Amino acid sequence: MTVTRVAESRTEFKLKSLPEDAISSVKFAPKSNQFLLVSSWDCSVRLYDVSANIERHKYNHELPVLDVCFRDAVHSYSGGLDQTLKMYDLNASTETVLGDHKGGIRCLEFASEVNAVLTGSWDGTVKMWDSRVPNCVGTYNQGNERVYTMSIVGEKFVVGTSGRKIFVWDVRNMGHVNQRRESSLKYQTRCIRVFPNKQGYVLSSIEGRVAVEYLDSNPEVQKKKYAFKCHRIKEAGVEKIYPVNAISFHSVYNTFATGGSDGYVNIWDGFNKKRLCQFHRYNTAVSSLSFSYDGSALAIACSQLDENQVEDPKPEDTIYIRYVTDQETKPK
Amino acid sequence: MGRKKKKASKPWCWYCNREFDDEKILIQHQKAKHFKCHICHKKLYTGPGLSIHCMQVHKEAIDKVPNSLPNRSNIEIEIYGMEGIPPEDIKEHERQKTGGGKASDSDDDEPAAKKKATSALLGPGPSSVTPGILPTPMGPVPPGMYPGPMAMNPMMPHFMQQRMMMPGMRPLFPAASIAVSTPSKPTFPAYSNATISAPPTTSSAAADAKENGDVKPPAANSCPLVTATGAGSKIIHPPEDVSLEEIRARNIKYRPKPKPDAPSTPVSAPPMITPSTSQAEHNFQVAAHMSAAVAAARQQQAAAMRRPMPMGMMGMLGQVRVPVPVSMPVPVLPVMPQFNLMRPLQPGMLLPGGMMPMSAMFPGGVPGLPMMQPRFR
Repeated sequence: MTVTRVAESRTEFKLKSLPEDAISSVKFAPKSNQFLLVSSWDCSVRLYDVSANIERHKYNHELPVLDVCFRDAVHSYSGGLDQTLKMYDLNASTETVLGDHKGGIRCLEFASEVNAVLTGSWDGTVKMWDSRVPNCVGTYNQGNERVYTMSIVGEKFVVGTSGRKIFVWDVRNMGHVNQRRESSLKYQTRCIRVFPNKQGYVLSSIEGRVAVEYLDSNPEVQKKKYAFKCHRIKEAGVEKIYPVNAISFHSVYNTFATGGSDGYVNIWDGFNKKRLCQFHRYNTAVSSLSFSYDGSALAIACSQLDENQVEDPKPEDTIYIRYVTDQETKPK
Repeated sequence: MGRKKKKASKPWCWYCNREFDDEKILIQHQKAKHFKCHICHKKLYTGPGLSIHCMQVHKEAIDKVPNSLPNRSNIEIEIYGMEGIPPEDIKEHERQKTGGGKASDSDDDEPAAKKKATSALLGPGPSSVTPGILPTPMGPVPPGMYPGPMAMNPMMPHFMQQRMMMPGMRPLFPAASIAVSTPSKPTFPAYSNATISAPPTTSSAAADAKENGDVKPPAANSCPLVTATGAGSKIIHPPEDVSLEEIRARNIKYRPKPKPDAPSTPVSAPPMITPSTSQAEHNFQVAAHMSAAVAAARQQQAAAMRRPMPMGMMGMLGQVRVPVPVSMPVPVLPVMPQFNLMRPLQPGMLLPGGMMPMSAMFPGGVPGLPMMQPRFR
């Protein structure tokens, strides 16, 4: 009770004992808004107890970690530049190497539908792993394109790669690709997230633009797709267009937050084409976002990934936890 | 005259052929685009209204409706939303919609007005062209397509073409805009789907671009440079079309000491190049980089299938990996020899892209690599 009161009294706060380098990914636990996994370029994976604002666990990879995900409350998976998939038991504090890729592991998703973990790599493949033993169940070529982003909800599994390709899979039947698409955006795909209701996905590009797309290939449904500009700042007559690095869905309302290199976080109602709100500008680029399972908290990772853009003094890498309100996240 | 649309088809603007979801928005559009006084920015309700306003208030004659198609610039005709459109034009529009209503995937329902505006804004400098900007129909993409050899050879001609058709192309973006909940953007629903309206008769450039887009191999599209879309805008991203993470991963401090990370060859990212001067050259760099990555990945795959030998090589390198302290000084020498090993890769890659035979990867030949063996195994 007291703990939650403390949290609620502040709408937003910074996590303590943060990683020492850029934050690559933040992920809330599947069934609680207390625990947050964080992967970082400082080669660490950390588990935070957000309610108490303390770091609970930390383990390392040999090289920077690019993504992390939960299997359940007590197991995490992580991968990164060392090309190795690790499973970590948070209770026993033991790590298991499940296997590796031939390129950096860019993203990880846990497929609860088939109880497997999926890894997407710059080697142009997605691999599926049995969630408990070091056993690669299958390797799935993604058109020889480097995997940049993946998202799964239920059986719907969408992979975004270099070359603006999109592959839609059904995790129950990985024998063939369901759909191959080309991104409707003209620039490099940055992030894809599937709608919690599985109807479609949201895709962002490096050119300050976000597309809302539908999986049903029926032309009537496809007509509903659209894209919009965002994360652009006009300064002295020049419009600066920023990459949209992160998307996270509110699982209850099907609204989503986007985070850009401009340091802003916006919340959108994709079905009604409305922006619900914009938070204040963060100290630097937003590199990752994660809503908690019930949508009450949003983790916001702020890190400048583009080293050409690093100002002096270098903005610190931070993670904010923001307790959002219905007003900010619920369709009006 | 004055007949209101009752059909399912959408309201459209007679002046610029643009379609809207809602007539109210069409009216807002017309007031903002076509009936706005260029002197005092007052929004009038009709073409004649604007004409009279300018005459009486500013003592200026207006002979054309602003931002209209050339054959639709008549200021005398009184049109308000869908009301007042000459019946023959309604029929014509219908016909175009049903008859010529091809591919709903095209994004060119942007008004001609906008096209003009954009090209004007871009000015004479074609510096903003991006190879990836071409309007590819998002139709069938051949399976397993990747920016390989095709992207390479016709690079030069394409590049030239793109420069020329640039003004018409830019608006072909799916420039959809969500309601950013600003009332000043009343037009957003018009973008909301890709139903094509009659292609604007004015800009033949757009048509050209389209044809070109059709014949163009999609592969050429998938290797764009990240360049700004116009003089007035700048994409805050390194010029290479490679993800921020990959670029960052090249940083010496994130590299395992003895292990060259095959997919990302050069440590130093190519410097920012102004697109207008040497974009083509840069294209090659990016292309080279990408195909190098692909080729490297393939090589690894092939190797994996073939034998433990190259795998062993990888593994060995993997073992000697040492986490590099973040504070390590940048010019670390021991790494360089490996890069040199990778160097020949680049120029080689340029020509046939990912199809490079394995032997070309290591021109000197890697001792012990069973080049031809698998066939006989």
